Amino acid sequence: MNDVLVGRALVKRFGQTVALGGVDIAVRAGEAVAIMGPSGSGKSTLLHCLAGIMKPDAGEVHLLGQRIDTMGERKRSELRRTRFGFVFQFGQLLPELPAEENVALPLMLGGVPRSQAVRQAREWFGPLGLQTMETRRPGELSGGQAQRVAIARALVSRPAVVFADEPTGALDQRTGHDTMRLLVEATKHNGASLIVVTHDPNVAGWCDRTVEVRDGQLAGVRA
Amino acid sequence: MNLALTWRLLKGGGRRGMLGTWLTLGAVAVSTALLLFAIAANFAFQARADRGAWRNPVPASSGAVAIEASRYDFVRGRAISVVDLAALGKQAPAPPPGLPRFPRPGETWLSPALAELARQLPADQFAARYPHQAGVLGDEALIHPGELVAVVGRAPDDPAMTAARSEDWIVSQAPVRVASLAGAPSQDATNYQALAVVAGVLMVVPLLVFGGAAARLTVARRDQRLAALRLVGATPGQVVGMTVAEAVMVALAGALTGTVAYVLAAPLLARIEMQGGPWFAGDVFPPPWVFAAVLVAVPLLVGLSAVAGLRRVVVSPLGVAKRETPPALRAVRVVALLAALVMFPLLTRGAGVAIIGTALALVFLCVNLVGPWVVGLIGRITAGTARGPARLLAGRRLVDDPRSAWRTVSGVALTGFVAGFIGLLSPAVLDQPPAGPPQLRVLAPAGQVEQVARQARERLRESGLTATVKPDKSLVVATLGGAADDAALDRARTALAGLVPGRTPTTPSDDKRFGDQLLADVRVGTVVVLAVSFLVAIASSGITAMSSVLDRRQTYGLLRLAGTPLELLDRARRAETLIPLTVMGGGAILVGVFCAMPFMIGGMSTAGAVTLAGCVVVGFAGVIGAGALSRPLLRAVTADPAPRPD
Repeated sequence: MNDVLVGRALVKRFGQTVALGGVDIAVRAGEAVAIMGPSGSGKSTLLHCLAGIMKPDAGEVHLLGQRIDTMGERKRSELRRTRFGFVFQFGQLLPELPAEENVALPLMLGGVPRSQAVRQAREWFGPLGLQTMETRRPGELSGGQAQRVAIARALVSRPAVVFADEPTGALDQRTGHDTMRLLVEATKHNGASLIVVTHDPNVAGWCDRTVEVRDGQLAGVRA
Repeated sequence: MNLALTWRLLKGGGRRGMLGTWLTLGAVAVSTALLLFAIAANFAFQARADRGAWRNPVPASSGAVAIEASRYDFVRGRAISVVDLAALGKQAPAPPPGLPRFPRPGETWLSPALAELARQLPADQFAARYPHQAGVLGDEALIHPGELVAVVGRAPDDPAMTAARSEDWIVSQAPVRVASLAGAPSQDATNYQALAVVAGVLMVVPLLVFGGAAARLTVARRDQRLAALRLVGATPGQVVGMTVAEAVMVALAGALTGTVAYVLAAPLLARIEMQGGPWFAGDVFPPPWVFAAVLVAVPLLVGLSAVAGLRRVVVSPLGVAKRETPPALRAVRVVALLAALVMFPLLTRGAGVAIIGTALALVFLCVNLVGPWVVGLIGRITAGTARGPARLLAGRRLVDDPRSAWRTVSGVALTGFVAGFIGLLSPAVLDQPPAGPPQLRVLAPAGQVEQVARQARERLRESGLTATVKPDKSLVVATLGGAADDAALDRARTALAGLVPGRTPTTPSDDKRFGDQLLADVRVGTVVVLAVSFLVAIASSGITAMSSVLDRRQTYGLLRLAGTPLELLDRARRAETLIPLTVMGGGAILVGVFCAMPFMIGGMSTAGAVTLAGCVVVGFAGVIGAGALSRPLLRAVTADPAPRPD
């Protein structure tokens, strides 16, 4: 199978606490995977290890066949910037920048000239239902709108994998539903894989597959 | 109940919360110590003026009890203040401070340092000038420790008490009949006090700005929490009460720390030489009520500043929780500065020190008022023209919160104002040693030039000195033999002492000494004011840089998490500081130079230009260095893999 991201026997400890006790996971191209579990189960730690935010104590992480957990911080930073996209629960938009510049930021970080980066960023506003919101600042957007701007930002650099940590946690049910639909559709439309950490079965319902984590172990997989 | 909750929240702020508290405490401590220094300097000059007053006689309209005259003598290149006293009645008048009794005719009283010198040097070089030493002067008679003073008792009809003296009030005082020896502070002492007031204003204004920044630092850390308190229904009064209580608690601790720091540093500060010497330990300790007033005023000011910073939260509970485009600052701020600049030369022309000081403080505050507006403007230009993310981020942040960006650089920019102002006012000391063999000159009374020249020749010959003595108009000029050293010069001074009653034979460098001394003191004063300003400025920019990292830790953390290199965040932070610093620092220097123009003595000096250039270099290096100090903090706060707002 054409696995994009593979984690093998991942172990992560925080002092005496074992957050991950040897987890194996593989995500295919274009696949949407939900990681579910109660609070403290290790699901966020798993996401951080897969995304190169954290180094696992043991085990391996491969992106498109290349091992990434042994890379230095600089390399992993570059990887996160170019090959991954992130959507969080809140606070990910820079309050000082208008929406379009927030979306253009990853491109500019990659060296794309500002005018071109902003032009490319604007192309995302229509499909995500954000027309006329380009110059608004995060404080002037609703929670759902801010989350859609964050989705545009996660996808603008055409990543291989998008990581979402409780992306609808701060939204009401209806807005959460719309946001998840847009996230899954836009990610698939771009050929990227999606890994969503959530404790909400409705959110997980949007994904192709759900992975259950309990006490740092995989507790089950549902298609 | 608010106090208990405040204390609970202050303690429960966690490591980062406590770090912010410590930063505020440190900032207030530095401010308090330097504020005490600025105030103490004024009291110290006052103390010197009071102690020296007895040497500046006030003519009596009636009931004169004594005659007082003064002049300067010199030994080993140092000035000696010589006071001649003669009692008028049969009963000796009350003695001046530092003397146990009024000196009798013929006896001399020397200051401890001068008495020591008299013991060390051969009599024909010094002691013979002041025979019959009756005792040593107490410290109450001295302007500064180690000062060289001689008090000579004379009869009222002694030629020294009747002869005319130099017209220059700095060099000597003609004999004056006085009703008491209390005297009045001299013109010289009053001038120094005026300079101390100006220096005080220049130091206190940045301190107030710094103190205010420190207070708002507390609020910046707390605003989200306080907005949350408002959201759950705390009344504006409760929110204000809690903020003030927290700010005042921290400020009081800071003020106490600062006071202790000042007391510990005072012996070192007393070593700074001014008017030819260091200070008595008591001079640099202002009266206890000053300490008490500072300990009350500093926490009060910090509390008020905190209230001002809280206005937005109190007005709207959502004001801080929701980030919106802040209203642009009004250009009327610029009008205020321009108006102040137009008024400055008009206000200060021939005005008293109080008015000059006030006008200076006004311009200073206007620069501070214009700062945020200019920073906002620079931000818009930077963001508009930015190509890369670092400049874009920096520009947008400047637009977003110009006041906080200004806080980071205001200290250094305002020091630029000080540097610009005093850079022009510190002309170079013309300290070239006179060429050729040493010369002693003394003004002879009218018609006696030849006679005085003859006597001078005899006296020098009797002392075994080779010298050519020639009259030059009304002056008698004794040129010593080519190989004459300090010892020979002092022998010649001793030989010629009392040649013309009431006049001291002087070398050309003796005559220049008082001008040189004043310029040297202005230079020391400049260095002290600049050192204090820079200390404040750099500490201030360091603290604001750290608090800005703490305030934005969530944003920084998420940016790092999304793959933004730490260097880029650092570059944006640097640009955010250095761009406004360059514009505002340069602008403030120009404003300072403009304000100094009405008081300029001659052209701009090399020393002034060097001081100014030095300030620019130290300022930039200091701000960059202070910013770099917060880099580990940036690394630490961004190392957290899952930043959550707290």
